[in-house]
Amino acid sequence: MKKVTYFPGCSAHGTSEEFDQTVKMVMKTLDVEMEEIPDWNCCGATSAHTMNESLAYALPLRNLVLAEKLSNDTMTIPCASCYQRLKVTKVHMDENPELAKKINTAVVGEGEYQGKVAVKSMLQYCYEDVGLEAIKAKVTNPISGMKLACYYGCLLTRPKAITQFDSPEYPMSMDNIIEALGAKATPFDFKTECCGASFSISDTEVVLQLSGKILEMAKESGAHGIVVACPLCQSNLDMRQPDIEKKFKVKYDLPVFYLTQLMALAFGFPKEKMMFAKHIVPVDGALAHIGEVIEEPKKPAKAKKAVQAESEVE
Amino acid sequence: MARVGVFVCFCGANIADFVDVPTVVEEAKKIREVKFAIDYKYMCSDPGQQMIRDAIVQHRLTSIVVAACSPRMHEKTFRKALSDAGMNPYLLEVANIREHSSWVHQKDKKAATDKAGDLVRMAVAKSIANEQLHEISVPVTKRALVIGGGIAGIQAALDIADARIPVTLVERSPSIGGRMAQLDETFPTLDCSQCILTPKMVDVASHPYIELIPYSEVIELDGFVGNYKAKIRKKASYVNFKSCTGCGACWQKCPVKVPNEYNMGIDKRKAIYTPFPQAVPNKPVIDAEHCTYLLKGKCGICAKVCEKGSIDYTMQDEIIEREIGAVVVATGYGMWDAKPYEEYGVGRYKDIINSLEFERMVSSNGPTGGVPMRPSDGKIPKTVVFIKCVGSRDKAKGIEFCSKICCMYTAKHAILLHHKVHDSRAYIFYMDIRAAGKGYEEFVNRAQVETGAVYLRGRVSKIYQKGDKLMVRGEDAQIGQEVEVEADLVVLATAVIPDKGNPALARLLGISYDKYGYLSEAHPKLRPVETAKAGIFLAGCTQAPKDIPETVAQASACAAKVCGLFAGDTMKKDPMVSTVSREFCSGCQNCVKVCPYQAIVTEDIPLGHGSKEMRTVAKINEGVCQGCGSCVAICRSMAINLAGFTDPQIINEIVAI
Repeated sequence: MKKVTYFPGCSAHGTSEEFDQTVKMVMKTLDVEMEEIPDWNCCGATSAHTMNESLAYALPLRNLVLAEKLSNDTMTIPCASCYQRLKVTKVHMDENPELAKKINTAVVGEGEYQGKVAVKSMLQYCYEDVGLEAIKAKVTNPISGMKLACYYGCLLTRPKAITQFDSPEYPMSMDNIIEALGAKATPFDFKTECCGASFSISDTEVVLQLSGKILEMAKESGAHGIVVACPLCQSNLDMRQPDIEKKFKVKYDLPVFYLTQLMALAFGFPKEKMMFAKHIVPVDGALAHIGEVIEEPKKPAKAKKAVQAESEVE
Repeated sequence: MARVGVFVCFCGANIADFVDVPTVVEEAKKIREVKFAIDYKYMCSDPGQQMIRDAIVQHRLTSIVVAACSPRMHEKTFRKALSDAGMNPYLLEVANIREHSSWVHQKDKKAATDKAGDLVRMAVAKSIANEQLHEISVPVTKRALVIGGGIAGIQAALDIADARIPVTLVERSPSIGGRMAQLDETFPTLDCSQCILTPKMVDVASHPYIELIPYSEVIELDGFVGNYKAKIRKKASYVNFKSCTGCGACWQKCPVKVPNEYNMGIDKRKAIYTPFPQAVPNKPVIDAEHCTYLLKGKCGICAKVCEKGSIDYTMQDEIIEREIGAVVVATGYGMWDAKPYEEYGVGRYKDIINSLEFERMVSSNGPTGGVPMRPSDGKIPKTVVFIKCVGSRDKAKGIEFCSKICCMYTAKHAILLHHKVHDSRAYIFYMDIRAAGKGYEEFVNRAQVETGAVYLRGRVSKIYQKGDKLMVRGEDAQIGQEVEVEADLVVLATAVIPDKGNPALARLLGISYDKYGYLSEAHPKLRPVETAKAGIFLAGCTQAPKDIPETVAQASACAAKVCGLFAGDTMKKDPMVSTVSREFCSGCQNCVKVCPYQAIVTEDIPLGHGSKEMRTVAKINEGVCQGCGSCVAICRSMAINLAGFTDPQIINEIVAI
């Protein structure tokens, strides 16, 4: 039995409750005990770091200090924004203990920061600490037949110097997990493009443009649905999808799953527990593909090569 | 009793503005051994030198101190003045009161003057212990070794050989020609690369003073300038070049297909092959890594079809030794692997190629017959995006430097594309257009005006596939907007990197290389052809990225250097070298380890007079020694003495202040 510290973040208790619930189900199945940080606070995203550097460090730092009071050596965070704020703070504080001390004594006041807890996103924890083999071993109801585009968004693997995880431009960790569950990950070039993030509220048009492009490319890749590991990605791609379809006069019909929802499904949990009712785009169409046999495209006829072509060479 | 003359220079205002020169002269006169001291506006001028010559005779001086600029500037000048007056030139000491005092203490004239006085006192004290030294003569082996048979090596070899100096040209691959043989047309005149190169290749093969050893590598270099010994490993070709007529029956029948290096892997060659039709020598070799017979003992088709019986599977590598006097290194360049550009999908998309691959495609003897084709489906591309500075000028992902040639060859590629596919259009993403060179700017203009190539100033941020097109998204910084180009083919001008073997070769030759693997020149401005090791010279891209005209110029410069070195039967060398006092040497060999020039070896000598027991002592080769003094500093027994910087000289200097 592994133990890990859990930082749910605010969205897990609101808009992405289904993420939180399925993370708990999945971790239990994977024999990981999650210990929530008592009295955790807001990570500061996205307002704090655009306004006040000290505040941007102080908020996550308090969570880091509280996490050190638990006995676990790793903390995992489902929300990509929370993960980013805590990881940035950890990296910068580890590099600059003087600053850590200053902010800690001036603002936080929960004890000394030692930098002993590793900060990992839920995706990273599943991929590195649990491992593909362990995940595969728990699959009872493979979701084979589904073709899925894995969307990582901007924060899970970037910037590389901070996250130290997977490729910043073309990551594959989520794709590998999805394939371990039996599904097929489609080649998807927009897996780290910007979805528009919190412009969803202040300038929705931006999100319609950017997320629209992501949906278009996901559809083009042949996917039945999109997989994410970030509440904001999910809400932009899912909640804004009807607006996008209306604006660009297209029909995508691409449900946006949390990675853990699909893991829970594959681990044999009943569909009702996934809270799919909270999704805007219905998931049934995509889930109906489970069990289908995916035909591998035939190898294209050997490309004509080195033909002494009808050239215009002088 | 020593009689020292001190000559203090004003250097116009350079010294006199910040150092009170007459005071320095007065201070010098106070030293007991100084019999004559004077100042002058420009000591290096003819009248200044005449003052020195006259004083030597008049005042019967035994050593001379010139307080002026750095000895790097005029030590030679003043030494010559001493010789002209009949004095041993090494009785000169230079006190550097310009770089070491007036230039660096411009705000405090008093302190600068005091320091100048100290420097003069030290030089005087040192000069008293100076000894008469004599230039060393080293015999010279008049044969040059050229490593690398690209255009740099070819040009250097031909120029040296034309001066009737024998040259051994070693080339790693089966044919000379190098990168230039892969090029289609050359900027800025668009003359055919092969047409101007192959005559030179043939000249190399037929030149009476050139010994061409293809398919071989230098594996050892011993000795010192004028007297090197090189070991060359000639790889087994499994073909008897003497009887082979180059008819081609063997490679037509060979069943093994291997990616063709000459065509950048776009098509295949056979396991027995000549790299390209114009190869010199035009004889095939068997690639032992891929030949079925050599790997498994089966096949043997080439031997069956060879009418001359030239195939010999039992052939072994051969070691050739040559005595040589100088080395020209010309190992050329490679293309940087753009894998780190993940956002471009390098490695995922077949229709992203590098410039050298494009060059092969548009080459009339290339794998596609001179027409560019998409590697994915063989279609002729209509819209081609060229991206410059991929890896170059990119600290984060690639290399910091500018690869220098990409701006020009990309302009050339735009023109060639237009020539080969008339209804095509080139889009070129660039950071800056660096077209400094004769006819270069005009050439870029030609690409823009004649072919309608669209130059977009900005970086590409992403390439993704949509249908069978590659979508290239970048910035057009001049209109401040994002642009997206629907491309059939993307060509990356990846950074020019030195040959992968450079670090190993540099260690083997005892020369240095930079953090990228480029071999280092002795001085970036004034000695761009020499290395820090005497007698080893650099030509072409092995030193830094450069285009063909520059490469040829540097190669010819190397040849001039080699010819200069070989001008006499012996070479003159500064006598500032180390010697070992055997009686004090404990044989610890620390000096051997610290010597950066591998000038120190060991020898065994009898323990005592007439003794049969031996002990090991250090031995310094004065031909190799550069007088750096590292061995002197490391020697615990104080057994090593550096002429011109002996212990008494240094101690005198220290005592003087």
